[in-house]
Amino acid sequence: MSALVRAVREVFADDVDDLLDVATDFGSTTIHVDSGRWTDSLEALAAAGATYFDFLTAYDELENGFCVIAHLSTPDASDHVLLRTLLARDLPAIATATSVYRGAAWHERETHEMFGIDFIGNDHLEPLLLPDGFSGTPLRKDFVLASRVVKDWPGAKEPGESQEPTTSRRRNLPPGVPQGWLREESTPPNAGSRHDKA
Amino acid sequence: MTRPDGVPAQGPVVSPRVHGVIALVEENCTSCMLCARECPDWCLYIESHTETVPATTPGGRDRSTHVLDRFAIDFSLCMYCGICIEVCPFDALHWSPESDYSEGSLLDLTHERTRLSGWRATPAADGPSDVREPPDPVSGS
Ligand code: SF4
Ligand code: SF4
Repeated sequence: MSALVRAVREVFADDVDDLLDVATDFGSTTIHVDSGRWTDSLEALAAAGATYFDFLTAYDELENGFCVIAHLSTPDASDHVLLRTLLARDLPAIATATSVYRGAAWHERETHEMFGIDFIGNDHLEPLLLPDGFSGTPLRKDFVLASRVVKDWPGAKEPGESQEPTTSRRRNLPPGVPQGWLREESTPPNAGSRHDKA
Repeated sequence: MTRPDGVPAQGPVVSPRVHGVIALVEENCTSCMLCARECPDWCLYIESHTETVPATTPGGRDRSTHVLDRFAIDFSLCMYCGICIEVCPFDALHWSPESDYSEGSLLDLTHERTRLSGWRATPAADGPSDVREPPDPVSGS
């Protein structure tokens, strides 16, 4: 067992239920902890030598919520772990990692912007990458990819076709576009009048 | 911080396995549309038409075949994920390590079939990954 995993196990010695899983795949160890123990776990890892903060991000697990992950390493890369936790889908929030790793601030800002996850204690969660006035959290899986309604999907054609299909058969629906958004089905809310050719 | 040694003075020295540009093997492509449908960036354009191949044996049936009219990749949108290459059931796409195709206009980054076929001359090398071995997961620190 690596020193990093051992350090986290020690933190959870009295509350094993909060240490949800430790799994190693392809040489990378993922430690899954209860979200209430996020800061404890980060502190233990930093104290055990994982002083290099690589990145923090999230991914959408749909009805299960959002996973937040942080990749931490020893400075000489001799040992590294992914620390992971799961947040509820409604009002996802977690303690900031900046109390342990100051470099996490920028990553939390981006994760907040893209997923709408709140990092309690990070007071600087201003938008970072998206255009001014953009609303929505584009890396959530339920975010509608509006630009995919505006542009013709190159995959809508069948083999042997050069133009948009002229028959009335049902067209293939591109991924990321819900039913009812393609213009021959109904007028999409944000496509305007440029698309009345259908 | 000092700059690492070995920074090339001229072009970068890249591995022959590098994913630089995508080459098309036209005669392998059946216009099946799988790559265009899987491309997450919607930057792969295919047009084709159907032709009838007359039966070659008496009493045989005519066949219909798809003939490619256009195959283009817009490298101003492409993110080099390689999904199109992975998904092609007919090995009609492969990587080339070439990367010297910058343009003054984004519009010129759309490579049509002739240009894509030209990249066939420099297929990327295959072989084991040059990623270093992951640390032994069970040994101590
Ligand atoms: S590499 Fe990816 S983004 Fe580029 S054309 Fe292929 S599927 Fe599309
Ligand atoms: S998946 Fe392969 S065969 Fe099918 S259209 Fe694309 S390149 Fe051609």
